[in-house]
Amino acid sequence: MIADIASDLKADSAMTLSKASAGCQLRIRQLEGGECQRLREIGFCEELEICKLSDGRNMICSVCGTRLALSKKLGDQVLVEEVHEAELV
Amino acid sequence: METIALVGNPNSGKTTLFNALTGANQKVGNYPGVTVSRVSGVLRTPHGHKYELLDLPGCYSLSPQAPDEKITRDVLLGDQQGSDLPEAVVCVVDASNLERHLYLVTQVMDLGLPVVVALNKIDLAQKQGIRINVELLAEELGLPVVPCQANKSIGVVDIKHAIRRPLPRPSSRKWQADKHTESAITELASKLKADHLDNAQPHAIHLLADRDYRCSEQSAVSKEARDASLECAANCERAEVSPEDSISKARTKWVQSVCLLTARRKEPDQGMSGLTFSDKVDQVVLHPFMGWVVFVGLMMGIFWAIFSLAEYPMNWVDAGISLISDTVSGTLPEGDLKDLIIDGIIAGVGSVVIFLPQILLLLFFIGLIETSGYMARAALLMDRLMSKVGLSGRAFLPLLSSYACAIPGIMATRSMDSAKQRLLTILIAPWMSCTARLPVYSLLIGMLLAGYGALVQALVLALIYFLGTISALFAAWLLAPRVKGSEEASHFLMELPEYSMPDMSYTGRHLAERAWSFLRKAGTVILGLCILLWALETYPKPIEGTPAADDPALALEQSYMGRVGHAIEPVVKPLGYDWRTGTALVAAFAAREVFNANLAISYSVEESDDEDLFLEQLRAKLAQATWPDGRKVYTPLTTMSLLVFFVYALQCLPTTVVVRRETGSWKWAIGQLVGMTVVAWLAAFAVYQIGSLFS
Repeated sequence: MIADIASDLKADSAMTLSKASAGCQLRIRQLEGGECQRLREIGFCEELEICKLSDGRNMICSVCGTRLALSKKLGDQVLVEEVHEAELV
Repeated sequence: METIALVGNPNSGKTTLFNALTGANQKVGNYPGVTVSRVSGVLRTPHGHKYELLDLPGCYSLSPQAPDEKITRDVLLGDQQGSDLPEAVVCVVDASNLERHLYLVTQVMDLGLPVVVALNKIDLAQKQGIRINVELLAEELGLPVVPCQANKSIGVVDIKHAIRRPLPRPSSRKWQADKHTESAITELASKLKADHLDNAQPHAIHLLADRDYRCSEQSAVSKEARDASLECAANCERAEVSPEDSISKARTKWVQSVCLLTARRKEPDQGMSGLTFSDKVDQVVLHPFMGWVVFVGLMMGIFWAIFSLAEYPMNWVDAGISLISDTVSGTLPEGDLKDLIIDGIIAGVGSVVIFLPQILLLLFFIGLIETSGYMARAALLMDRLMSKVGLSGRAFLPLLSSYACAIPGIMATRSMDSAKQRLLTILIAPWMSCTARLPVYSLLIGMLLAGYGALVQALVLALIYFLGTISALFAAWLLAPRVKGSEEASHFLMELPEYSMPDMSYTGRHLAERAWSFLRKAGTVILGLCILLWALETYPKPIEGTPAADDPALALEQSYMGRVGHAIEPVVKPLGYDWRTGTALVAAFAAREVFNANLAISYSVEESDDEDLFLEQLRAKLAQATWPDGRKVYTPLTTMSLLVFFVYALQCLPTTVVVRRETGSWKWAIGQLVGMTVVAWLAAFAVYQIGSLFS
């Protein structure tokens, strides 16, 4: 039960990639929308850690060391949560 | 010869590996019925086998976003017309990007074909501190995995060794979707097998994994297969399961588990704390202000280089054409055949081929910025501007190529992932002022600004280019809501590769391919047009003893072309043109390059080896031309009207032919031709008539 609550709290803390700040280390929680498959195929997969390098009409993210540029509309389909420093270590 | 297919993500080093595996034994053709290039070469293994190695277009998955990616899917499923199912597949994987590149490998494994994995850029992975247990990876995939470094030909022999009989087939499917999807796959596979479809299992997986593939009527599979897949997918959806989502999640989950087991990064994705050289360059190149400074400076530099450097090879081409013409002239007896060959074929085709150096120079610079990695940044930068008119930044490369010639520009749209964007780009590409317009611009600007220096004339030329470009973007804005297509597919999504030294070998091969394609076109479509034009301008021949027999201008007036010119004079007179200009315009609709030559014939100006002298003499004759009532024909207004006409008119039948081929529809090709002609007429009419009110 505690694990379920923790999982719900984690889901609630998710935000879209578009809304995340540049410079943040993020983990992809979920993909929602018509372009999920396309996003997964290029590298935005659930549970993957990425870094949002820049913001704007088109964002740039670092995914497995590769720089991927995507529009805000696509970023809205990627739910992420911040990876805190403690988790990184 | 049996075929081996080479597949891989973009930027995996697939083409570099292809060159290393095949050497100089390559050829480029076309897939039947489609407009994608078919690149193949001969691969010889150490075991004495000879294979045709087919370099398939790069893709992130077998669910295609663009026409060239469809080819990859259809060839691997055995559905591509004119292409046999490959004997084996070599998957090129970037070792520094295993998590992203193995997705395609899982799809290829599901095809049931023998697969060899070429683990490329192994040096880059090592430099990034990524340790890959190659043996364990091969065990997990159930396939041979060969580490290599294609750019130094390291591991290439090992790849050839791995392609040995019996060819290594993947074992059972590695990923597992939810029970509803698995049940749908089993059910669909047995239905397809009962319908005698080849590769029932791979087709079943693919039909359920790709919604567009099962819903599209353009799909290569039969209607029965698609209907069966729609039924199975509907069963899943009734259980609130999306089969394509379920399959892609299962694949990525399995890929991640394999990567966790077999690859170790030194530290997690470094992100902001570990900016690479490319990131540091991007801080300037993608800066909201400096980025544009770099971009505009680079574009201006490229165009300056083209206009200044191309002069030398163009002079060589011109000298070559003159030499051929003189040789033929000295060999053949006088008569129609000699006139046809010299004035029709050599002069006509030569006037097109002379632009090859400019086209190749622009494509060379495009190749440099593409292979260096800057092109993706330029597309990202331009996306902001182009999105305001309904275009994607991906349209930038085709539109840039169109400044050389619309034909390679239109063909470059094959890699665009949105059908709507592709069509919009094709429709507006001819308004990027191509090199063929330059001789006409030079003639008319020289007339208009006779008393002004080169700088003013250059500025007016720049303004004309700007006018064409702005008009093209405006047209895209107008057409975007009216062209059918998906909006989602046009959302920007692109990989930004690391900056690297431009690949001269790839650029050189690409140029050679383009040059050959251009010359082949010149030798077919343009040759045919030149013969037709010559015949229209020569016949009926003037009777011996009549004034027309000694006066080429009069002979032209009495020819079929001249009659056409007189017939359309009422149409061109409101634009300020007489029948001679009208005749030259009609001829120019076949190919713009012949406009000056036609005017020269009409005004009895001798052709000269000295292009500048020829233009001076032609300008002088045009300046003296009058209407029957004595008014000058070529006033500044007429000249401006003609300039505007040439900016907007689509005067290139080869372009119309290519548009038909790329769009698969005469409707769009003819519509574009008629539409641009109408716009050209209206714009020239407005300039001349409104200008007349003030003069």
